Amino acid sequence: MNEDESTIKVSFTEKIQKLQDYSLMVADVFRLSPSIGKNRASVLSEMYLIGTQAVFLVLVGGLFTGVILAIETGHNLEKFGATLMISRTVSYGMIRELGPAITGLLLAARTGAKNTSEIGAMQLSEQIDALKAFGLNPVEKLVIPRVFAALIMFLPLTMIADMAGILGGMFITNMTFNIDLAYFWNTAIHILQFKDIFVGAFKPILFSFFIASISCFYGLITRGGTTNLGKNAIHSVVTSSMVVILLDFIFTKVVWEIM
Amino acid sequence: MIELKDISLQLNGKLILDEVSLSIDKGQTHVILGPSGAGKSTILRVILGLLPIDNGQVIIDGREISSLPEKEALQARRQMAVVFQSNALFDSLTVSENTAYFLKDSGLLEKKEIDESVKTVLSFVNLDGTEGLYPDQLSGGMKKRLAVARALVTRPQIILFDEPTTGLDPINSKAVLNLIQRLKSIGTTSVIVTHIINDAIMLGDTLSIIENGKIIESGTIKKILQSQNGFVREFFYEVYQDSSLLNEIQARDE
Repeated sequence: MNEDESTIKVSFTEKIQKLQDYSLMVADVFRLSPSIGKNRASVLSEMYLIGTQAVFLVLVGGLFTGVILAIETGHNLEKFGATLMISRTVSYGMIRELGPAITGLLLAARTGAKNTSEIGAMQLSEQIDALKAFGLNPVEKLVIPRVFAALIMFLPLTMIADMAGILGGMFITNMTFNIDLAYFWNTAIHILQFKDIFVGAFKPILFSFFIASISCFYGLITRGGTTNLGKNAIHSVVTSSMVVILLDFIFTKVVWEIM
Repeated sequence: MIELKDISLQLNGKLILDEVSLSIDKGQTHVILGPSGAGKSTILRVILGLLPIDNGQVIIDGREISSLPEKEALQARRQMAVVFQSNALFDSLTVSENTAYFLKDSGLLEKKEIDESVKTVLSFVNLDGTEGLYPDQLSGGMKKRLAVARALVTRPQIILFDEPTTGLDPINSKAVLNLIQRLKSIGTTSVIVTHIINDAIMLGDTLSIIENGKIIESGTIKKILQSQNGFVREFFYEVYQDSSLLNEIQARDE
């Protein structure tokens, strides 16, 4: 076996090992989740940090996504005299796809970096060892509150992004293509069916679990020094973002096949 | 109270602990002394169960704990407390919150009782009046005393200290050493890891000298100073040259 093959083999083994460790951590999250009541203060604090403080970011992200979507589709639909369809496109686009995906990606970066750097710094300064040494489980004290806070907060944040996108799309369509505001709003809301709402609501819940658990995992496995902490923060954001994109595709495909 | 039997541990293919055996009686202060990188802190981590061992047994109060499942191991650790070299204080919590953290989590005491315990233990370590401060607002010595307070508040039977005076100025160092000595009066078993010979002589009822992951000498300081082992004689070179210290040790043991 040459050096390159050996390196690939080690790298592959490490990835499998990481996946196994992540699975064990997720199993611990499920096993220890009944303890959530004991850690409700931490959950509330995390809800504020990863939820309330992210409102402005998702608001801006959602708003401009809706505006751009309306402008781009509007100019194409205009060629066919179908500008009345912009509201449908913006509504479906925001609720089913772009709202959850953009919010997921923004929160993967924001929450992912926060969780990994926070828990990673605790690992490097022996605070995690202190928890274990005093008989506490770090998954229960650090991971579960963050996962629950994300599960609770990501859906409202996505709804804010969706609403900002639709409203942004509505105003820009009114200004650019002279579409009546009331017509846009009524069409955008009334065309939505259960399937669309289900897809739009389920995705953020799915994303939140993976973003929070992946970012906490990368924090917990931080070793060495600050360089590794930086690397793990990058891995955390990249992995979470990839998972968001992949799950978005899989979920959309599955829902279209089934529903 | 604490017994290590033939502990061996390899990390990344390197032998870190080589058949380490130790026995520490209840209420005793035992010092593990050796140069940097000898494996001193690793022994503490093994006692705490933070590192899985390859061979051997860790027996606390007659119970073998190294092979326990994680849940039971966490329970077993609750009779121990540790003061890390880096203090490992929770930087987002105040002095009183840091001190009360593990007590609150145990759920055994009412808030009033927790407040009372925190107040008592902060007074014991001379940190009265600092309750609302955060760790980054404290000096190095105060941080160390807070770490001791956090360890003491759960009333553990065993406290482990990792390099308790490293990085402290002489005044703060003396304050921490006095604090550790006062723990004897309340019957706590202490295990101290250090490379500072004077601290070891001052605190230890018994000592173990470790070199390259192997305990090469164990016993009272008087016994250790009689050792003919080349490393021990080199390590204690300055003590052999200090006749007044040698006389003091001789007098103490007699």
